[in-house]
Amino acid sequence: MSLDAPVSAAAVPIGQPTVHLSLNSAIRGEDDGDDRARVRALSSLHILDTAPEERFDLIVRLAQRIFGVSSAAVSLIDEDRQWLKSKVGTDFVQGPRSQAFCDHTIRGPGPLVVLDPRHDERFRFNPAVVGAGGVRFYAGYPLTVFGDHRVGALCLWDTEPRELDDAELILLRDLAHWVERELVSDAELGRAAVVQQSLLPKLAPVIPGVEVAGGCFPAREVGGDFFDYYLIGSDLQVTIADVMGKGISAAIVAAGVRAVLRGSTRFNDVATAVNRAALSLEEDLTETSTFVTLFSARLAPDTGRFTYVDAGHGLSAVVRRSGALDQLASVGPPLGVVPGQVWYEQETDLGPGDTFISVSDGWLDYFDSVQQAATAAVGIVRSLSSAQGIVDAMGRFSAEHLATDDLTVVVLRKPR
Amino acid sequence: MMDIERSDIDPAMAVIRCRGRLNMVAAPALRACIEQSVDEGHTRVVVDLARTSFIDSSGLGSLIGGLKKARQAGGSLRIAEATDQVLNVLRLTNLDRVLRPHVTVEEASRGW
Repeated sequence: MSLDAPVSAAAVPIGQPTVHLSLNSAIRGEDDGDDRARVRALSSLHILDTAPEERFDLIVRLAQRIFGVSSAAVSLIDEDRQWLKSKVGTDFVQGPRSQAFCDHTIRGPGPLVVLDPRHDERFRFNPAVVGAGGVRFYAGYPLTVFGDHRVGALCLWDTEPRELDDAELILLRDLAHWVERELVSDAELGRAAVVQQSLLPKLAPVIPGVEVAGGCFPAREVGGDFFDYYLIGSDLQVTIADVMGKGISAAIVAAGVRAVLRGSTRFNDVATAVNRAALSLEEDLTETSTFVTLFSARLAPDTGRFTYVDAGHGLSAVVRRSGALDQLASVGPPLGVVPGQVWYEQETDLGPGDTFISVSDGWLDYFDSVQQAATAAVGIVRSLSSAQGIVDAMGRFSAEHLATDDLTVVVLRKPR
Repeated sequence: MMDIERSDIDPAMAVIRCRGRLNMVAAPALRACIEQSVDEGHTRVVVDLARTSFIDSSGLGSLIGGLKKARQAGGSLRIAEATDQVLNVLRLTNLDRVLRPHVTVEEASRGW
């Protein structure tokens, strides 16, 4: 990667005011096509004109202190403007691109250090430089995302002249890489979250005598959790699944699993539907080296007959009217682990006053043991009287505790 | 943080020791370590989980992925000395039938 060009090989010679440090790579020209792609890359980060965020402010504050400069910023170069996502020591928010030091920084892959802009043709008439109290030192390191798009710079400046030595340049590069990771991780997270949310049913089916509720509460790491419910004739089909892995790749596999199951459940009983879906997904899951834990169930609302297949999910139970807990055993491995595996149907019933609950393994993250996690979930179920209330309470619990994994919950309840 | 350490026992077998939390942060490193072992001919892999305090679905994924990789190369992957937390998660997901837990590394190393 061009950014890892050894900056130490190009120290700043004294007496030469401006140096582009990556001398071995040509400074890119003003190619409109390149710049359009660059602006698109910046725009896809969905970061322009967003509020300040601590994860960037922290890096900028560190940079200011480490280098002992008056100001530091994460500066982004839009089509015709410069905009600061994060800054310290300045009130500047945005200005014309033509006056931005950082617009010069992004023309090369390495750092740009300007030891005294008053002696540099490019900057001597810049409004930020002219007059007393103007910029006397600038250093910027380009922020490169998605391979080769330099969308901005991590920059330092001061009203007093100063220099940067080799070790400081390496430090500036490392801080810039940190900013790059934050820029991209958030973009990835945002896209994965959008895919994940689009997989969830917007409304619960309305069935006389059964309350249906579900929720998916995302954490910092968006994963491959989803739930689904819909009517097949007069029966209710319920699915809760977790694709191993995180981020956009898990979300894409989850979208495939959901679609295949929606198709296969339509015309088959629960077990046949799962077995057919597993067969269709086998190749995809093998190729992406992932697997899926799945709980798929069918409820006949009038009789309360509840048939289900548990493929390595293992976190479903019925809390009976009496308060007793019936854990629904998982009897098969997840999909995508054992080629040719066949899953079998199991059966229980949901009577008046009974509550079915299924959670994803994100719930386990809050507790020291599986037993504690089950006790807490059952406590919530017993203390509340509606399906939606139970889902909301678990969502609040998730928001109040430090969540690393996302949490998905489905609750079915037959009122007394 | 997780420490992953590989010892090659013989030309066909390696023991990989995992220390710490086997979660989404550590899983890719374990996966890479298993794959490298298999690529270098040590297709019988024993993963020692004695010091693995926590495992999540990403961690399970690295073990299952490693098992698939080892089997494709004519070997296999076994786990040994799993802690209660790890055993619980394996049982919950029924993966204990696919990755049968061995009590000791010594036992797991015999009779391939």
